[in-house]
Amino acid sequence: MSDRVVLTLATAPSHTLVADCIAADRFASLDARAIGQLPVVHGGRRARLGDFFTVTGQRSAALRIEGDLERVEGVGTGMAGGEMLIAGNVGPDLGLAMEGGRIDVHGSVGENAGGARPGASRGMTGGEIVIRGDAGAQVGAAARRGLIVVMGNAGPRTARAMIAGTVVVFGSTAAGAGRFLKRGSIVALGAIERPATFRYACTYQPPHVPLLLRYLRARYGLAVLDRHIAGRYERHSGDLAELGKGEILQWVAE
Amino acid sequence: MKINGVAIDDTFAEAFTMRVARLIITGRNPKWAREAAVKLTGFATSVIGCKCEAGIERELPESATPDGRPGVSVLFLTMDKESLPQQLIVRIGQTVLTCPTTACFDGLPDVPDRLAVGKALRVFGDGFQASKVIGGKRYWRLPVMEGEFLVEETFGMQKGVGGGNFLILAGDADAALAAAEAAVLAMTNLPGVILPFPGGVVRSGSKVGSKRYRNMIATTNDAFDPTLRAITESQVPAGVNSVLEIVLDGTDAPAIEAAMRAGIRAACRPGVQGITAGNYGGKLGPHHFHLRKIMA
Repeated sequence: MSDRVVLTLATAPSHTLVADCIAADRFASLDARAIGQLPVVHGGRRARLGDFFTVTGQRSAALRIEGDLERVEGVGTGMAGGEMLIAGNVGPDLGLAMEGGRIDVHGSVGENAGGARPGASRGMTGGEIVIRGDAGAQVGAAARRGLIVVMGNAGPRTARAMIAGTVVVFGSTAAGAGRFLKRGSIVALGAIERPATFRYACTYQPPHVPLLLRYLRARYGLAVLDRHIAGRYERHSGDLAELGKGEILQWVAE
Repeated sequence: MKINGVAIDDTFAEAFTMRVARLIITGRNPKWAREAAVKLTGFATSVIGCKCEAGIERELPESATPDGRPGVSVLFLTMDKESLPQQLIVRIGQTVLTCPTTACFDGLPDVPDRLAVGKALRVFGDGFQASKVIGGKRYWRLPVMEGEFLVEETFGMQKGVGGGNFLILAGDADAALAAAEAAVLAMTNLPGVILPFPGGVVRSGSKVGSKRYRNMIATTNDAFDPTLRAITESQVPAGVNSVLEIVLDGTDAPAIEAAMRAGIRAACRPGVQGITAGNYGGKLGPHHFHLRKIMA
């Protein structure tokens, strides 16, 4: 058993590399050799994780991944526990259908982070994803529970059809945010393009937002500003084309 | 044994095992946090008549509360496991939920026994309530006319101690009250302890049952009533004309002991002739706080 497992990208993939075998909790019971033998799909062909990554450490639910992962898809799929730190950018489908644990990305991510598998009705059902860069389209789509934090900007259709859970965006949020939202929350600390199917409710201090932001500051060391913690937020309820019990909380002032 | 010329009786306080919860109530400022805490802990002096005992443990600065606002820590005790959640649900629902700006958090997060208090209170939201999981804890957001009330879903429950006590035997009522006030001041803000009676002081100490009325659970402690010295089996020493009692509840025996030590030391002042304690011969309560051992 090691303090943590470290995957280092040794051979850059020439095509899309589907590496949905990478999950922190899955590595807790595997030695380095077994981790290297896990199956991946490279350009539509079967391969082994060890063909691309060197593996250091074993039998630990703490995982660190190093290298340029922009062509690597599905990292953290179905992850149910443990801690994963990605030291750079990563491709689409990060934390797909994730159930628990924490993923901390020191970079940007592709589309559909925390989203659902193709054809599935539910995305992530638990856990936390912190993205210190930008997020691609549909971050948090169809999420059922869990927390996603985007320190940079979020792409189009953020939290699309989200059932519940929370997406916090520190930067700007592109068009289509919250479309078909049922019960979840989008906390927008920057500009956000709201769908017309959201209706303004009030401007207030939601008591859970300071709790959440203070948690992010303490747990992840994120640069959360005091004015966001103490600030007032506009509450927009929606999507009224759906259940309508979701919300966009947009920071407006101290 | 004497402290500042005050005799410490060779006896012990007999206390009981109770169930305790700790609540952290926060508000926009200390005033509103305290308003809620005072209402919550009102009419909670003794399980004999109130079904629970509660009190303010201490005031908390912003840095010590979950949401970074001023807060008050409250201890809440009942005799059994079943009645603690019932009392908490009713009282939080009527006093904290109703109080402007407040939120209510669990102060025993590491305790395995959990009471679904917030989960029960959530139905006040009539279907408009929402929950959020933050740092592994679930919170309920209840819509209210002011905005939202935030309450943690579960609260920890552990075994506590109720009924720690000592009696101040003084030459007159003024000296007894001054000593009691000094004792309360010394015990205020000590961790893990509350003084559930008004101002922390009891003037009507009781004995179990009645000599005359069959249906009375508790009646006046005639052995320590100075006015009955001549007509009852009195334990009031000569020269003593007023007796006040301090009752302590806490999270554990060491917390009670530490508070009794501080309180008794402060109560040993001019006009006080002795310090003693109430017990039932050691047959009812498992916790015995021997005064001389505590003060040694």
